[in-house]
Amino acid sequence: MKPAFFQALRNPLWWLLLAALAMLPLGLPSYYLHIATLTLVYVALGSAWNIVGGVGGQISLAHSLFVGTGAMLASAMLLNSGINMWVGLVVAALVSGLMGFLIAVIDFRFKLGHLSFALITLAFAEMGEIIVIGWDYLGGASGLFLPRDKGDFSAFQFGGGEGAFYVMLFLAALSVLVSFAILNLPLGYYLRTIRDNENAARAIGVNIFRNKALAMVISAVLASIIGTAYARYLTFADPYLLSSPVLTIEIVLMATVGGLGRSMGPALGALLLVPLGEILRGKLGGVLPGLHYFVYGGVVVAVILATPRGLLPLIQERFARLRGNAKPEGSVASSGA
Amino acid sequence: MALLSVQGVTKRFGGLTAVNAVSFDVAKGEILGIIGPNGAGKTTLFSLISGFLTPDEGDVLFDGQSIKGVPTHVQVDRGLVRSFQIVQTFADMDVLDVVTTAALAKLPMVEAIDFAAQTIRRVGLGGKEYLTPAVLSLQDKKLLEVAKCVATQPRLILLDEVMAGLTMAETEAPLAVIRELNASGVTIVMVEHVMPVIMRTATRIAVINFGEKIAEGTPQGIVEDKRVIEAYFGEHLDA
Repeated sequence: MKPAFFQALRNPLWWLLLAALAMLPLGLPSYYLHIATLTLVYVALGSAWNIVGGVGGQISLAHSLFVGTGAMLASAMLLNSGINMWVGLVVAALVSGLMGFLIAVIDFRFKLGHLSFALITLAFAEMGEIIVIGWDYLGGASGLFLPRDKGDFSAFQFGGGEGAFYVMLFLAALSVLVSFAILNLPLGYYLRTIRDNENAARAIGVNIFRNKALAMVISAVLASIIGTAYARYLTFADPYLLSSPVLTIEIVLMATVGGLGRSMGPALGALLLVPLGEILRGKLGGVLPGLHYFVYGGVVVAVILATPRGLLPLIQERFARLRGNAKPEGSVASSGA
Repeated sequence: MALLSVQGVTKRFGGLTAVNAVSFDVAKGEILGIIGPNGAGKTTLFSLISGFLTPDEGDVLFDGQSIKGVPTHVQVDRGLVRSFQIVQTFADMDVLDVVTTAALAKLPMVEAIDFAAQTIRRVGLGGKEYLTPAVLSLQDKKLLEVAKCVATQPRLILLDEVMAGLTMAETEAPLAVIRELNASGVTIVMVEHVMPVIMRTATRIAVINFGEKIAEGTPQGIVEDKRVIEAYFGEHLDA
């Protein structure tokens, strides 16, 4: 582990931020608490995706497969087989990890390029949605209604509202921490080298398959766990939300706007776009149907055009210039930029 | 026993035989130069040795073990590493990051960073640790190629035209590094176009033309070899 990791952990700023977030439910009306919780879901998902998509540079569109497995399988096991949702969470995470591994095997075996990788993972995600919708055990097209959340922790219940917020805060923090740790471990160096130049990575001894597979499995397991918790929070495991490739697109969008490959990039993107989307829908949804999508889309396009590498690198460079030193994490010093 | 033994290696691309039954041995501690006109098959030969391509025929032994079809990362682990003729770029990593990744082949994280920083200074790139490789001069990019190889702590380095495109003065820095490496016990095989460089550096030279080895010997012997002169300047006209 690179010492920078422990230095960052000792930085009181992060702990203050976490404490401030933990206090949020105290004064927040339930609608805004919902937006905050939703934001944390996307912070968690974006950070999990970022391990493969940002650090590893593989645009995976399969992540709805993992979120969907976590959500639908764990819910189905509870409702149709009476299996505790904690167990369901673990089983779904293992299944997702295995699917992630298989995708890595296919990628390696057939030497997929970037475009083929994106398209094949998208095809898998589409297949996943069709399987969920067509299979009654997983809830079929009507989805699965989970029992009311009575706050029984042993049954994977967190009492809704505030409880769910803290669960998502934990998962978001975990997801960010895992990707930050990876960036400071050999795995992060290997993944970045593979992303930037796969042949050069091979030549200096990087095991391409092992590292890509490892990233995919870690990312899939995280996404699956978040999926289980998300379904529990919504109390309704909706296949058209949780196992739809559209979910992945949203995640990719937020991660890109925030900044790919940085541990805080996807978090920043989600922090900006989820509340924006929700508030726009609240304010404009009644004015003209679809208007909020236009405004939302406009903001996304504007940000990506203004800073193609995402907002975080831009902010980091501004700060570095103000302080006149310090190299932003995961990036190249200001030489050419 | 030879550290590297190339035994009758052949590689065909469709109807073209890029490398045809080439054999040579490299003893421990040697600097073997491989020369030959453009398109002679030198880079293909390197790819065959380093595991980027698998030979259709023949075998490659490293330290007595066959490395035919062995993945590159295993070869680096055993101590065989190559550089690239075409300078490699990295979009979002700095020089230190790239060399650190190479050092991770043999060292844990913290030690790898230290060793990478040392290696960068050793090849003469000190002060450029935090630059992106894209902004480096051609000479520095070549030095980065050398640094990446050195950081993996190899026993044998395959250097593919590290001097190409450099002026004579610019070759001094990479050459000094190569000689120093060799003095510290690293065996070197270098493909090179720049004749004066290879003449002064190599202990032995093999000449490749049209995918075949046409001569092998001391630098002095090679320049006087009739087949070599023909390969480079065409057939002699007695007029």
